[in-house]
Amino acid sequence: MSEATPTGGVADLPLTAKERSPAPALSSRQQTMQIVCISRGSLSRGKELAEALASRLGYQVLSREDLIEAAIAEGIHVGKLETSMMKPRAFTERLARERDHYLAFSTAYLCDQLQKGPLVYHGRTGHLLLRSVGHVLRVRVVADEEYRIRATMQQLGIDRDKAVRYLTEVEEDRRAWVRSMYGVSWEDASQYDVVVNVERMNVDNAASALVGMAQLPDFQVTPASQRAMDDLLLSATARLRLARDPRTNRFAFSVTAHEGIVNVTYLPHDMEVSEEVPRVLEGLPGMEQLQATMAATTILWVQEAFDATSETFRELTEIARKWNAAVELVRYVPSAEVGQGPETGTLPSPARTAAIAGIEEDVDEEVVDDGGLKATLDGLAGLGRSGGGRFVRGERSSLVGACCTTVPHSLVVLGNLFLGKEPGTKLRLTRELQDSLGSRMRVPVVTAEELRSHYLFGPRDAFRLLGFLAVVAVVYAVVLTHEDAVLRFLAGDWAGPGRLTMYVVAAAVFVFAPVVAYLYGTVARSLMKLLKME
Amino acid sequence: MMEPGLLYENFIDINGFVALQVVALGLVGGVLSGFIGSGGAFFMTPGMMNLGVPGVVAVGSNMTHKFGKALVGSRKHAELGNVDKRMGAFLIVTSFIGIRIAVWINSALVGSTDSHGAGGSAAGDLYISAVFIFILSAVAVSMLRDALRTRREDEAAGPSMRIANFLARRHLPPYIHFKVADVRVSLWVLMVVGLATGYLAGTIGVGGFIGVPCMIYVFGVPTAVAAGTELYLAVYMGGFGALNYALKGFVDIRMTMLLYLGSLIGIYIGVYGTKVVKEIVIRLVTAVIILLCVVSRAVAVPAYMRQLGWVDLNPEWDPWFNGASKAMLFVAGFSGCAIIMYHVIKSYRQRLRVQQRLTEARAAV
Repeated sequence: MSEATPTGGVADLPLTAKERSPAPALSSRQQTMQIVCISRGSLSRGKELAEALASRLGYQVLSREDLIEAAIAEGIHVGKLETSMMKPRAFTERLARERDHYLAFSTAYLCDQLQKGPLVYHGRTGHLLLRSVGHVLRVRVVADEEYRIRATMQQLGIDRDKAVRYLTEVEEDRRAWVRSMYGVSWEDASQYDVVVNVERMNVDNAASALVGMAQLPDFQVTPASQRAMDDLLLSATARLRLARDPRTNRFAFSVTAHEGIVNVTYLPHDMEVSEEVPRVLEGLPGMEQLQATMAATTILWVQEAFDATSETFRELTEIARKWNAAVELVRYVPSAEVGQGPETGTLPSPARTAAIAGIEEDVDEEVVDDGGLKATLDGLAGLGRSGGGRFVRGERSSLVGACCTTVPHSLVVLGNLFLGKEPGTKLRLTRELQDSLGSRMRVPVVTAEELRSHYLFGPRDAFRLLGFLAVVAVVYAVVLTHEDAVLRFLAGDWAGPGRLTMYVVAAAVFVFAPVVAYLYGTVARSLMKLLKME
Repeated sequence: MMEPGLLYENFIDINGFVALQVVALGLVGGVLSGFIGSGGAFFMTPGMMNLGVPGVVAVGSNMTHKFGKALVGSRKHAELGNVDKRMGAFLIVTSFIGIRIAVWINSALVGSTDSHGAGGSAAGDLYISAVFIFILSAVAVSMLRDALRTRREDEAAGPSMRIANFLARRHLPPYIHFKVADVRVSLWVLMVVGLATGYLAGTIGVGGFIGVPCMIYVFGVPTAVAAGTELYLAVYMGGFGALNYALKGFVDIRMTMLLYLGSLIGIYIGVYGTKVVKEIVIRLVTAVIILLCVVSRAVAVPAYMRQLGWVDLNPEWDPWFNGASKAMLFVAGFSGCAIIMYHVIKSYRQRLRVQQRLTEARAAV
């Protein structure tokens, strides 16, 4: 297998017979166009709406069916992947690789089509593939239940009961697909800019209304959204190249891109692949630098302004070393802060942004203050712990959405956020964010102040270890040196025969066992923390 | 009738060497438990029986051990929102019935404290061994088959989903929706799974082996929620089992405490192992260890059958059967542990090498 040429796109890689397909011939850093993503349910007339809208706007139409056809031609087992994601089954490493390949291909395919001209895409989750890009108009089409039942009966020639069951199952499967692929609820209205009910509005009228929306400045391409698109495309093409190359297609990777820097994270048990990654990605269009990190997991660090000399940086890298983890940075600037003048000194202008959620403003290329993101990433790369970085501006939901990626995280650390707020407000907003991220990501979310006490061994842990160890030693010594009395008690020989005697025994066992587990469990946890193995 | 060599009819004498062996059982059980994600009872219960602990006391002590451990562990899962308490509540009710059935059968076979059944603990030991062999053989074989199947390059699918497909084709109302797990499950399926989980937890102390796969494959629950809910369930099942066995005088708290000494450390090592060992290796190692535990238990069966008078064997052979069974179990456990430790140490050394390379590179700059 030869290496990619410096000028070629992903399609320049030599392909196997199976891979010779209408695959995206991509080149990074091209002007992107506007895209409208229509998310449709079964028989909700989404296709009709997409075609009507595209004809009014003069855009091309792309359907999920076109995308799937291209993915199958690429060699992705879409059918098996769908069944696996929708139905209950354990998530194997192979399935995870197949999913990553599919996501990278779909993203690259959409970006590629978009570079040919503006686009109306209708399917399930196009908007989620491009969720870091600000100029996507996200539309959800719904239809009345009764209409859908009648349409199903008519189309499939089945009775009402079967039609109801069919629709329920199809919806359930699609819901499961979206949840498994993107970790979000398909029906969550906050995922969309507008929800159209075609029962209450004629398809043509709905299309006309959407034409007006599509022309709003909020959905036009900006330099910031262009950069977000560039980074998305770069990470997708990098992942796609790794998935296509026989030297790397058996391994799991997490790939992010930021300002031309591609960050590839691989697992410790795949260490042998470390030398192949640079060879496979050599000459990737748009890639200025490659950082490869070996990590068992990823820690997400969310902060408004980063500092590579801070105590949090030191503590986090210590934990990352201990856990064999990469640290991914997310610079979050709450939307309420936007518009404050630079004189306040609390909001540095995000000049070269990576992934931007919500509505962006055009930014001045001359401004280079990125809130310490790049310097901190360089610091992490020097320690072999870089997991890439992103910039998010917007509401809390934008940050939560941006954090819920397919990259598995083990811990989220919230550093200094809401810098322009009063201490009380800052604390409240941080706690609220902590709750939101915790409930969505289902991983521990801690503040920078809690890091040390939770994950690093300090004097407090030493005292706790010694204290609990002493209590445990006493409990074990008492029980094991008074065996006869203990066994007599357990056998119920200490009192006359009767149910009451054994109830007392059962109650004592019921209380004593968890107490011992708690006491000794605390000793074991502290000991492992000391040995950096927890 | 009092069992020879047993204190207060049910408890073995624990000297320093026996205590060390129980701690080792806990350590290996803990490592395997952290590595596999199950309770480790499949190793600890037969291990205790090999040390001369009557089967019912081994199960009772292990359930008590499981209760305390789950109580400590489930807190963390609950904090992360990985526990579907509603599903747990439905399963708890039916699993309690399963446990009651199991305790009743076990106690009837061993005999109450007043009158022992024929063969003393041998009948109970044989019954527990038979259930153990049957269930864990099925688990190990299906795990091995799935692991070998997914090794083939052309096979992109995960483990078999025949059960899920079979149930999906049947309409079994009423259905209950569980919000945290975000699944809809037939009440009848829930009841069967709860009953089976409870019965197996009460009989051989192994509940997670059935509960977690059922939640994943049959209900369609996400893996993290299945593990969290199972641990939540284990608190109640372990607590209920501990109460029931303690009521009959079948809990040896010394054994429980010694098991904790090894298992609560071992879990951390096992979990660390999962980070550095490939999934296919985890599944293969797990299946082989379980199969060896099954064979080890099968080797002890002839001695129980002789004690019951079902086969004509020389009583002097009993220690040989028991010794062979014990040796095989320890070989299975320790070799499994050795494989895990080998990967843990290898990864640790790799980590050091990478760190050293980076330090050298920085120094050169």
